[in-house]
Amino acid sequence: MTDQAEASGVDRRQFLKVIGTAGAGAAILSGCSTERISTLVPYMVQSEDQVPGIPTWYASTCSECNNGCGVYVKTREGRPIKLEGNPDHPVNAGTLCSRGQAGLQALYNPDRLAGPMAKNAAGKWDAIKWDDAIARFAAKVGATNGELAVINGYSASTFSTMLTKWTAALNGFVTNFQPFSREPERLANQKTWGRDDLPVYDFAAAKYIVSFGADFLETWGSVVEQQRGFATSHGFNDGAMSRAVFVGPRLSLTAANADEWVNVPAGSETLVALAMAHVVAAKTGSAVASALTAYAPEQVAKDTGLTADQITKLANAFAAASPSLAVAGGVGAQHRGAIDLCHAVNLLNEAAGNVGKTVMFGAAPSASEGYGSIQPLFDRMSQGQFQVVLVHDANPLFTLPKSGKFTESFRKVAFKVSTATVLDETAAECDLILPNLHGLERWDDLMPRKGVLGMLQPVVEPVRGGMHTGDVLLQASQKIGGAVASFNAKSYEAYLKAEWEKSFKSSDFATDMREALGRGGVYTASTTVDQPKLVATTALAVTTPTFDGPGDYVLMPYPSMQYHDGRGANKPWLLENPDPITKITWQSWVEIHPDTAQKLDVREGEIVELTSPHGKARAQVYVYAGVRPDTFAMPIGLGHTEYGRYAQGRGVNPLDLVGAADGQGFLPYVGTKVSVARTGDYHQVARVDGTPRQLGRGIIQTMPVANAIKKMTPEESYKAIGRGEAESNPELEQKAIAGFYEAQLDATKFGDYANEHPKWGMAVDLSRCTGCSACVTACYAENNIPTVGEEQVFRRREMSWMRIERYWEGGTNGEPLQARFSPVMCQHCDNAPCEPVCPVYASYHTADGLNGQVYNRCVGTRYCSNNCPFKVRYFNWLKYNESAWPEPLNLQLNPDVITRVRGVMEKCTFCVQRIRSAQNTARLEDRDLKDGEIVTACAQSCPSGAIKFGNVKDPNAKVVQWKQNHRGYVMLEETNVRPSVTYLAKVLNIETAAFTGAEER
Amino acid sequence: MAVIAHDPSLPTQTHAEVTRDVVRTITDKPAMGYYILAGSMAFLTLVLFVTLGAMLKYGIGIAGYQPPVMWSVFITTFVFWVGIGHAGTLISAILFLFRSRWRTAVYRSTEAMTVFAVMTAALFPIIHIGREWVFYWLIPYPNARFLWPNFKSPLMWDVFAISTYLTVSSTFLMVGLVPDIAAVRDHVSGWKKTVYAKLSLGWTGADSQWRHYTRAYLYLAALCTPLVLSVHSVVSWDFAMSIVPGWHGTIFAPYFVAGAIYSGVGMVLTLMIPLRKVLRLDQMITEYHFDNLAKLTLLTGSILFYAYSMEYFIAWYSGSLFEQTTFWRRVFGPNWWAGWSMVICNAFMSQLLWFPKIRKNLASLFVISIFINIGMWFERYVIVVSSLTNDYVPYAWGQINPSWADWCILAGSFGWFGLWFTLFYKNFPIVAIQEIKEMIPMPRRGAAARGH
Amino acid sequence: MRKWFFAGFGVLAMAAVASVTMFRPSGAQQPAAAKSNIMPVDTGSLKGPRQPIFFRHDIHAGQKQIPCQYCHYSVGVSNEPGIPSMQTCMGCHSLAVGGSTPENKVEIKKLRAAFNARKPIEWVRIHAVARHVHFPHSRHIKALGPQACATCHGNVARMPQVYKVNNVNNMGFCITCHLERKVSRDCSTCHY
Repeated sequence: MTDQAEASGVDRRQFLKVIGTAGAGAAILSGCSTERISTLVPYMVQSEDQVPGIPTWYASTCSECNNGCGVYVKTREGRPIKLEGNPDHPVNAGTLCSRGQAGLQALYNPDRLAGPMAKNAAGKWDAIKWDDAIARFAAKVGATNGELAVINGYSASTFSTMLTKWTAALNGFVTNFQPFSREPERLANQKTWGRDDLPVYDFAAAKYIVSFGADFLETWGSVVEQQRGFATSHGFNDGAMSRAVFVGPRLSLTAANADEWVNVPAGSETLVALAMAHVVAAKTGSAVASALTAYAPEQVAKDTGLTADQITKLANAFAAASPSLAVAGGVGAQHRGAIDLCHAVNLLNEAAGNVGKTVMFGAAPSASEGYGSIQPLFDRMSQGQFQVVLVHDANPLFTLPKSGKFTESFRKVAFKVSTATVLDETAAECDLILPNLHGLERWDDLMPRKGVLGMLQPVVEPVRGGMHTGDVLLQASQKIGGAVASFNAKSYEAYLKAEWEKSFKSSDFATDMREALGRGGVYTASTTVDQPKLVATTALAVTTPTFDGPGDYVLMPYPSMQYHDGRGANKPWLLENPDPITKITWQSWVEIHPDTAQKLDVREGEIVELTSPHGKARAQVYVYAGVRPDTFAMPIGLGHTEYGRYAQGRGVNPLDLVGAADGQGFLPYVGTKVSVARTGDYHQVARVDGTPRQLGRGIIQTMPVANAIKKMTPEESYKAIGRGEAESNPELEQKAIAGFYEAQLDATKFGDYANEHPKWGMAVDLSRCTGCSACVTACYAENNIPTVGEEQVFRRREMSWMRIERYWEGGTNGEPLQARFSPVMCQHCDNAPCEPVCPVYASYHTADGLNGQVYNRCVGTRYCSNNCPFKVRYFNWLKYNESAWPEPLNLQLNPDVITRVRGVMEKCTFCVQRIRSAQNTARLEDRDLKDGEIVTACAQSCPSGAIKFGNVKDPNAKVVQWKQNHRGYVMLEETNVRPSVTYLAKVLNIETAAFTGAEER
Repeated sequence: MAVIAHDPSLPTQTHAEVTRDVVRTITDKPAMGYYILAGSMAFLTLVLFVTLGAMLKYGIGIAGYQPPVMWSVFITTFVFWVGIGHAGTLISAILFLFRSRWRTAVYRSTEAMTVFAVMTAALFPIIHIGREWVFYWLIPYPNARFLWPNFKSPLMWDVFAISTYLTVSSTFLMVGLVPDIAAVRDHVSGWKKTVYAKLSLGWTGADSQWRHYTRAYLYLAALCTPLVLSVHSVVSWDFAMSIVPGWHGTIFAPYFVAGAIYSGVGMVLTLMIPLRKVLRLDQMITEYHFDNLAKLTLLTGSILFYAYSMEYFIAWYSGSLFEQTTFWRRVFGPNWWAGWSMVICNAFMSQLLWFPKIRKNLASLFVISIFINIGMWFERYVIVVSSLTNDYVPYAWGQINPSWADWCILAGSFGWFGLWFTLFYKNFPIVAIQEIKEMIPMPRRGAAARGH
Repeated sequence: MRKWFFAGFGVLAMAAVASVTMFRPSGAQQPAAAKSNIMPVDTGSLKGPRQPIFFRHDIHAGQKQIPCQYCHYSVGVSNEPGIPSMQTCMGCHSLAVGGSTPENKVEIKKLRAAFNARKPIEWVRIHAVARHVHFPHSRHIKALGPQACATCHGNVARMPQVYKVNNVNNMGFCITCHLERKVSRDCSTCHY
């Protein structure tokens, strides 16, 4: 096969053109235009697994973060065009987060380096040949005699092991560095149980979840898995539903999804945890009780700003529900008392007897080293102890605070090598760049936890001229010889397969590996949940954490959901996908409480200068009631000085303000106080939300759990609570409406409409939806939706067919601030107002109940959008199709969906391309469609499984069961547009008396 | 001459004087001011088409559109101009059928204004669509693809309404012109003579010609009359047929027609008051005529007043949350300034005309007419824009932020209209010679009674 | 649909290597063949655009009776008909078939030369539908049978050099047929 491959010689671009001619491929870029490629270039050799026009799926593993989710790569004509979750994979079970899906834009990123580069005397970059590059690398490394430092950001894998061995062989020093590596938790586990591995938390089993600053739905831990678990326990399914509480200074997305937000000052979460543990231990008579005598609720109450019985009630409820689960950690709670906090929470779990039930040790999720190990390394650099440093898959100079003078220390190293695929801050400081291959281009693996081997296989020919770092090392080793001469595998692929063969221990490795690759890896469910032994606990004495600086406001940097530690900042999908809480795109900001804003006399968009002992930063104000008046919160991830056209010079990096001094083995992100000064400058905030209140329009409806258990409809529930009598039509009007609707139906008894057709419909369970926005990215990927950029977002011209609407409830006169999330896409109304007003039938009703939009017929009067009560139609104001996908980003486009030219209206189609292709397949196989055969992109990606799609005429279809649920309602029912999308009211696990939501109805 | 009790609706001049005075407006060498005026209008027209070109090149996104407001300045201006185009036909056709004499002096100019206003409006459906180059898809024509426009769409009706109105009103204007052009023909020489000769379609003034002419004119007038009501009703249905709160009102058709006539008469005043001075036609177009126009303004203005109040009443009475919010925000929301300028300029200003002092004073009348024009533009702005800024889903609410392109098109439309009108009044009789003459009482003895 | 793919996963995985190395850049693009070669047979006089190699559909599909799908392999299963790979041609023409007439011999030599030089032939395109149209060949083959190609492409078996019989890019052409056969006229059948 390989020599056949040798025989083949079609340039990839040309190859794409071949298929392009048939209406797909890169060619679709020019949208509706009909000018076409004039030549057909055949394969030299036809490959077995590529049939033009039919997607080929490969199983692989996501390399965007170290959770190692399994992915299916959808390729067309040799191009990956979409990433979806691998249902067999134990971690993510078939779904994928926004960042994972955006891996595609890392693969096709226009700023990817074309090949190895060396810095010349003038400090400019010269492109060099690979042989040359490797020779230089080998020469330098060979001459280090041990003064070699390696920073490896790639987590547990065969490669990392090899790299470690390789470095060891050269007496070098290696650090497996991850910015958010959960060190406090591991140190606390050391303290509590004398083991420094991390447990896996079972959110699905927990009946009562308390999170102390841990944003388990955003960036803390294995997010997709935790979200799935959370949806399982906290989503309302016939009577049963867990209760979630969030303790911390900021209303994060996780907090917004909890039923209660306990708002305490940064640092005092510890006391709450201890007090709760105190009460619980007393109830359960746990061994930890002795350690907590000093922490009765009464004693801690005043420091936390809570009342004693608040804490007691919380604790009792926590103890009553078994199994329950308390989690702590995350950057948002990484103050100087973080170890105490995690320790306290460990004790709380011990006291409640959750260890082994919801807190399960044994799987040992891959935990890399962090600040605790990288700081000493840089110290040694500054002392000139290293001649050569190799940075792999990490960007420490961005993810570490400036105040640590890491850049200066880094410069002390004579020869610095990076394997970055894009010129990032660290690479820019290096002397040699050996760009690695992207995860979809290389052979590799990831071991996110015991018993899970995720395999990566190349599914596309390298988009840019990179080389697998494994191969670089192997080739270099042969040049260096000596200690590393033993690294003599023909290629890294060979090395890897050899390693796999060892681990497989199977008779027929070839077959087993083929099967394993088909499944995306080897998953041996680790049944062994080992009970850790509690270290004898003496009476605790926690000190309240300190904050540097004289400032009045605690600075709370938190990892952005889209950009993580900053690696997402060069991907347009992530930049344009709004932050779920603030709904801001393309920007970073500082969150200030309304009262504080008033005190400081600053408004949204005003630029303030924040000053800490460690530095200054200028940031846009976002006035947010979900942050404490004494706290400023800022997202981490933007503020790059390098890292490509999309990231460079965009936003501000809060780490510029954070102190590096530490000594406890982790970076105290929340360890600084800042003072603020007005600058008078203003920069418009690129928000995509209009009015964040529902104004009694019942768009997102909710009900207290008690009413849900009584199987009340939202209508009844609101009535029962005696709030917001819904505007209902009198009987005669009802008659008229019904009659009108019947008449409408009669009108569809002609032509195609007469025949028997399915009717497509959707149901969304708002009690499962967390607002994570994975569906939005999925929609962008599936439907070739252009990103329009900050300037156009200022004009609210974003094209996201699917948006997550976020409304606020309460927050005024004592009512707790609550968020409501709902995915809103085209509702495909049976009685659609957009259809009759289109003068050219571009918007019309298809026989199978879709609200069709014929782009090539649209003349762009935009009346349909005016007349759409949901405002889910998006217009191509400018030539977005020409600006959104600079080469080679255009290779990510889905050939089954046309890109829209300027001047036409577009909108959600219920993924009609998926419907049609499924229908074609069924027709070719002479069978009917099966329920669940068609899955829209959004439904497919949703980590909490909140979306169901199917044929509503099929009584057994899942979607129909959902639609018949008593919680079901349609948006804006009084407009009589008859949407095809049913929403299931969100259930709040709160006392009926405490029910807010005055603004819903 | 002996001053005798005189019916103000009747001309005071002799046939000869009439012809002289009117023909003079054409034959006299234009003043410098005229060239400046025409020049600036031509420039604005250029601006219009350059901007249009830019939008063709880059897309209409260069205008200040901001979802959810998908229609903004362009549609506002479109409706504004269609409205202007209403007074003409009303005055020339309906008042003709009602045999109200005072129309005679002003109808030609208003009719010209009508045609040019509709010509301006007709540009906008093309300017505002996203793919201007396929606008012809709005026109039904047989094709192999079995594709037809959607006759249910109000925009479709619009296309028919406007094109019909343009055809009929321009025909009406042309026919009315024939005898007068003939009169001009007899007073010019050289190439001009040949041109006017062609335009006068060989008019000799023979009895048979007069007989046919008057009939034709009568029928055309009858044909125009329904259009006055139909066209703007159809335009109003562009909005009334939708479900946008603030748009779907049953009152819209009469409300729009009244508004249209109101704005039309306003524009007539704005044009005629200065023009009368410039062309020294004050003997023919007298205070009496303006008084009548003012009364017409007062009437329609009061109808508007009623319509506005009714809208608010219904919004409250409907009990619909959406309606109520929309109308509340019209006057207290972010667009309050537009809302109030509409109410003040239209509803209140017109009421000043109850006082004869104000009504008969040309200066004040002129000022008021300006307010009317502004007010009527804002009325359309309020209806189109502020209704769209806040409809059903609060998350999608948003304001607009017009860009240079919007203003260039707006200004350009005035240039385009102005250019035509300026050229017209200098090259064609702005007052209907023959109709004035018809009304001149029997000529006094001794005066030379030259025919036309 | 997934299941369908799972079946082949193992194979696919292995073949991944091949498919990946499949289109290794071969340096600069070839000059359009039309420029480089002299045509021994003056096909210019024939209908239809002149092709880099004078491939005789009339011989292959006509005299030799080779079924269309032998070369256009994916037409029955996919939206795309599939352009035969050079290897497919060489399958017969590597040794066995050298051509009967001297003219044919020359053309076949060209093919072999191209294959050995690893230069794919750039055929001149004749039929293309606009990109906003989705035309699933497989559905049409399924409905009209394997011999249905002629419905749109004309009787290729009689064409020494293929030319356009119907303007397949004219919606009228599609609609007429759909009407005759009483099948869907819904816009979103083809446009999405």
